[in-house]
Amino acid sequence: MQDDSSDPRTSARVAFKASLLIALFVALIGVSVFYLLFARGLFEETQTLVLRAEDSEGVTVGMDLTFSGFPIGRVREIQLAEDGTAHLILDVPTKDARWLRTTSVFTLTRGLLGNTNLRAYTGIPEDPPLPDGAERPVLIGDATGDIPRMLTETRELIANLTKFTAAGGSLANSLDHMEKFAGKLAGSNGALAALLGDDAAGKKIGAALDRTNTLIARVDALVAKADARVFGTEGLAAKADAQVFGTGGLLPEARAAIVELKGGLTDARESLRKVDAMLVDAQAITANAREATSDLGALRAEVDANLRKLNRMIDEVNRRWPFAREVEFKLP
Amino acid sequence: MKDLARLISHQATSPEREHSTVRALRPEPRTHYHPPMSETTPTLPEPSRLMRHRALAWLGVRWRIVHTSAVLLVLALSPSSYTRSHRDAIARNLVAACARNLLWSSLLSALISIVIIRIVLVTSISYGLSQYALEMLIRVLVLELIPLTAVLFVAVRIAVPSLVRTASSRPERADAHPLDPERLAREALPIAITTTFAVLLLATVSCVLAAVLAYFSVHGITAGGLASFTRTFGRVFDPTVSLLFGLKTLLFALAAGMLPVASALVDRIGAAPRASVMVQALVRLLFVILLIEAASLVGNYY
Repeated sequence: MQDDSSDPRTSARVAFKASLLIALFVALIGVSVFYLLFARGLFEETQTLVLRAEDSEGVTVGMDLTFSGFPIGRVREIQLAEDGTAHLILDVPTKDARWLRTTSVFTLTRGLLGNTNLRAYTGIPEDPPLPDGAERPVLIGDATGDIPRMLTETRELIANLTKFTAAGGSLANSLDHMEKFAGKLAGSNGALAALLGDDAAGKKIGAALDRTNTLIARVDALVAKADARVFGTEGLAAKADAQVFGTGGLLPEARAAIVELKGGLTDARESLRKVDAMLVDAQAITANAREATSDLGALRAEVDANLRKLNRMIDEVNRRWPFAREVEFKLP
Repeated sequence: MKDLARLISHQATSPEREHSTVRALRPEPRTHYHPPMSETTPTLPEPSRLMRHRALAWLGVRWRIVHTSAVLLVLALSPSSYTRSHRDAIARNLVAACARNLLWSSLLSALISIVIIRIVLVTSISYGLSQYALEMLIRVLVLELIPLTAVLFVAVRIAVPSLVRTASSRPERADAHPLDPERLAREALPIAITTTFAVLLLATVSCVLAAVLAYFSVHGITAGGLASFTRTFGRVFDPTVSLLFGLKTLLFALAAGMLPVASALVDRIGAAPRASVMVQALVRLLFVILLIEAASLVGNYY
C-alpha cells in the first residue's frame, strides 16, 4: 500500500474514486432531504382551516383530512381553546381547497379498532369556497360509543342466562317437569296419566271409554232397526213412493195443474197484447192533445188580437157617437 | 495539542499504576514453610477493597476509551488533521472499504427488505389492514432496521478487520506512545473516518433502496401511487422523527468509527492478545449500538 501511495497517478485515481463516493453520499442526502421537505408540504401553498371539536381524542398531528377518500389536508396543530373545546388547525393545499365550500360538513369518526378519521363532505359544490382561516365545527361519530351500553346489556343478558340456568332456576325446573312427564308417559297409565296428572283420573277415562263403546254398540242396533222400518218392503219409503209416483198420486196431479197453468198463462199473454195496443192508442191521443194544446195558444193569441181590435172599434164608435157624449155647457 | 498529548500520556500511564496497585494489594508469595513470626497479624486485602479497585480499574478503561474516542472526534473535526498525506490515507481507506462493501451491503439490505415487505404485506392483507402496510414498512425498515443493519455490516466487515492493523502496528520511534496525537492522526484517524463515512453511506443507500422496494411492492410498477407514497412518507417523517433518525444514524456512524479504534488502542496498551482486542471492541460497539437504538425507540415511541 505504501508503494501505491507513492505513485501520483494511483493516488489521483484513488482520490477521484473517493470523491465519487462522497459525491454519491451528498447527492443521496440532498435528494432525500428535498423529497422529505416536499413530502412534508414545504413547497406547497396552503390555507388554514380550524376545526372545533368537543374531544380531540385520537387526533394526531400529521393526520389527514380526507374528501371522498383522498387526503386534501393535514393536521398541523391541536390546541385547547379558552372555551374548553379542541381546535384542530389544518393546512389545506390551495389546489385542494376548492373541494371545501362554506356549507361543507366535517366529521371526526372513530372506528372499532381505534382508528380515527377526519372527513369533509360538500353537498353543494356551487357554494362559495371556504375562506382562509375559516373556523368550522366538527361532528363526532364514535363507533365505540355504544360499546359501554352493549357491555351493560350483555352483562345483564349473561346474568339472566345464569339465573335461568342456575340450579333451581326456570330451566332446571322445566327440565324436572319434563323428566316427570316423560316418566309418567313411560308408566302403566301412559299419556292419559301424564296429561291428567293423576292415575285415578286415567282409570276413569278408561271406564268412560268402555261405556262409550257399549253405547256405540247399542246405537248400531238402533240404527239397524230404523233402517228396516224406513227402507224395508213395508217401510216408510215404499209407501211414500206409491203416494208420490203412483196413479192418482201427487206427481200426475201436479203435472195436470201445470198444464192448466200453462193455458192460463197463454190467455194472460193475449190480454197483455191487447193492453199494449190500447197503450199505443193512448199515446197517439196524448200526442194529439199536445198538438191541440199548441193550437189553442195560437187561437188565444188571435182571439186576443180580435178583442183588442173590437175594443179599439168600440172606442172609435164611442168617440164618434154624438149622443153618447155628455155635453155640458157652463155659463160664465 | 501538546496539552492533549500530555493528558493522553497521563491517562496511558494509569494502567501500569493500576497493575502495581493491584499487585501491592496481593499477598507476598511464601518462601518458607514457617513464615517469620511477627508481633502483629499480617494485613490481608479486604474483599471490598479489592472489588473497589477492580471497579475503578474497569471504569478507568471505559473512561480511557471514551476519552480516546473524543480525541479522535476532535482530530476528525480539526482541519489540521487533513494534511496531504493524511488525505491520501483517508482516501485509500475509504475507497477500499466502501467500494467493495457497497454492493454487498445493498444486496443484503435489499434481501432483508424484500423478506420483511412480503411478511408485512401478506399479514396486513390477511387482517384487512393493508392501508397501514406502507406506513409500517417505512417505520420498520427505513427508520429502524436498515440503519441497524448498515452499522452491524460495517462493524463486522470494515471496523473490526481494520483493527488488526491498528492493534499490531508498532511505533516508529521507541518512545512514541500509542495514544500520541500525531500517531493517532496518521494511523487511527483514517480508519475512524472511513468507518464513520461507510456507515453513513451504506445506511443512506440502503434506506433509499428499501423505500423504493417498499413502493414497488405495495403499488406495483406504476407511478400512480407516488402521491400516496409521498404523503405517507411525509406523515411518518415528522420533524421529531426526522431529527431522531438523523441523530441515531450519526451516532451509529460515530460509534462504529471511533469506538472500535479507541478500544483497540486502549487494549493495546495492556498488551492484550489481538483476538481479545477485536472481540472486546466488537462487544463494546454492540453494547453502545444497543444503547443508541434503545434511546431512539424511547424517543420515537414514548
